[in-house]
Amino acid sequence: MQNAFTIEDLSYRYPSKDTDVIKGITFNVKQGEIFGFLGPSGAGKSTTQKLMIKLLNDYRGNIKYFDRDLKKINESYYEEIGVGFEMPVHFGKLTGLENMKYFSSFYKNKADIKNLMEKVGLWEFRDVLVSQYSKGMKVRLNFVRAMLNNPRVLFLDEVTNGLDPKNAMIIKKMIYEFKKDGGTVFLTTHLMNDVEQLCDQVAFCVDGKLYEIATPRDLKLKYGKKEVTVEYHENNNILTRDFELNDLGFNDDFQTLLKSNRLETIHSGETTMEDIFIKVTGEVIHE
Amino acid sequence: MNNIAKLLKGEIQRSIKYKILPISLLTSVIWVIIFLLISADEAKSIAPLFLFTDVALMSIILVGSSYYLEKQEGTINSVFMLPIKLNEILIAKFISSMFLAFESVIIIAVSLYLIHGVYFNYFLLLFYVIVSAMAHTAMGLSLALYAKDFNSLLGLLFTFMLIFTLPTIFYSLSLISENFEVFLFLSPSHCANLLMNYAISSKPIDWKVVLSVVYQLFIAFGLFKYVIYPKFKTNTVRG
Repeated sequence: MQNAFTIEDLSYRYPSKDTDVIKGITFNVKQGEIFGFLGPSGAGKSTTQKLMIKLLNDYRGNIKYFDRDLKKINESYYEEIGVGFEMPVHFGKLTGLENMKYFSSFYKNKADIKNLMEKVGLWEFRDVLVSQYSKGMKVRLNFVRAMLNNPRVLFLDEVTNGLDPKNAMIIKKMIYEFKKDGGTVFLTTHLMNDVEQLCDQVAFCVDGKLYEIATPRDLKLKYGKKEVTVEYHENNNILTRDFELNDLGFNDDFQTLLKSNRLETIHSGETTMEDIFIKVTGEVIHE
Repeated sequence: MNNIAKLLKGEIQRSIKYKILPISLLTSVIWVIIFLLISADEAKSIAPLFLFTDVALMSIILVGSSYYLEKQEGTINSVFMLPIKLNEILIAKFISSMFLAFESVIIIAVSLYLIHGVYFNYFLLLFYVIVSAMAHTAMGLSLALYAKDFNSLLGLLFTFMLIFTLPTIFYSLSLISENFEVFLFLSPSHCANLLMNYAISSKPIDWKVVLSVVYQLFIAFGLFKYVIYPKFKTNTVRG
């Protein structure tokens, strides 16, 4: 699969600062994958995204978009990408539909606004001023805004932050459908639930450097606790005991426990992405 | 419709929705009421000050404030994500700023003619208005780009007015002697006020007019090329 983005030794320093915010990071985003870019606040996630969407220039290193040098691509780049900002980006005194029609009018390839707004449950509120929208409605409108040009690559920043579980699920389903149709997604988030459900590959960014780039499954295998926890009844009490996952079938104590006690629960010690996030970012921060 | 026209249409639509155009119209209506209450000579002498207020002063304030409003609403980031050139965004901002000046000029010119029968070279006035609005829009945007926040912008605008606008108004009211006028040519406000005066009183073009036009064009293009264009995106994104 071709790389949508090839980032090589990328560094960036804000004009007013003495040190680099991004310190020589290298990674690839493959076409058709959902790439999660994770890290604590101030790690350089947003700056990396700003560089990739050409909001910031004057970087060192290379950013290639489908093998083309990003610096040499003009404003036509924005015909191909969609950006969903975390912050509201709409005119408050205009209605949701007026906002969408305005931004859509600049694109050659226009998506069906009605269809998008219906999918995220905003069509019935199309004539309401954006200033009267709730936070969740503004987040959903941001997503519609990002999809207005039927983009090839979607950049999403904390896309489900502030959404109730039902609407978060709708957006995640739309992202998954976008991917299924061949779209590439660069997802910046701190919501590990989104990462587990959506991402094919994740990268952890801390203090402007990348520390892990892998699939969520590989990360879980690497950082997961390889053990089984058993809750069982003994003398009218419920007790807990941990066993090594390796060679569990040959573990006599485990076998005896299974045979001689009534079990309450049995769990493999699966590590969540949240645990991994804390482990990776925490470890690095305290180095 | 090309991108500039679309951007301009959006800017004007928003100036109505955000009540900027209605308030500007209301100000012009106040000028008309004043014209109704005074003589033709008084109207001719005070009209340049009204024009100066709408063309120069309002341009600098409105463009700076609307920039901060767009920044606060985050809409400027959304505009940056459109397949349009930065030049087109900036040109649309300049033209929309002039649109409000034109609206005021038209109302003042028409009311001066209808109420007092005063007329003058409208094309020359239009040219002077374009030059003055361009310079003051450029200054308003530059101040907004360097301001850290809205309060800091207000501080910069206040300082600008204290240094450049107040002496101009004092000069118009004869509170500053004509002997000091040569120093006032450093002030773009004075240049704009002088051009409005010359247009309405139909005075022949002299070195003062040429200097005022050249100086303001120099400010407008200089700021556009060396401050606004290179800094607009970076300073806006930086927050």
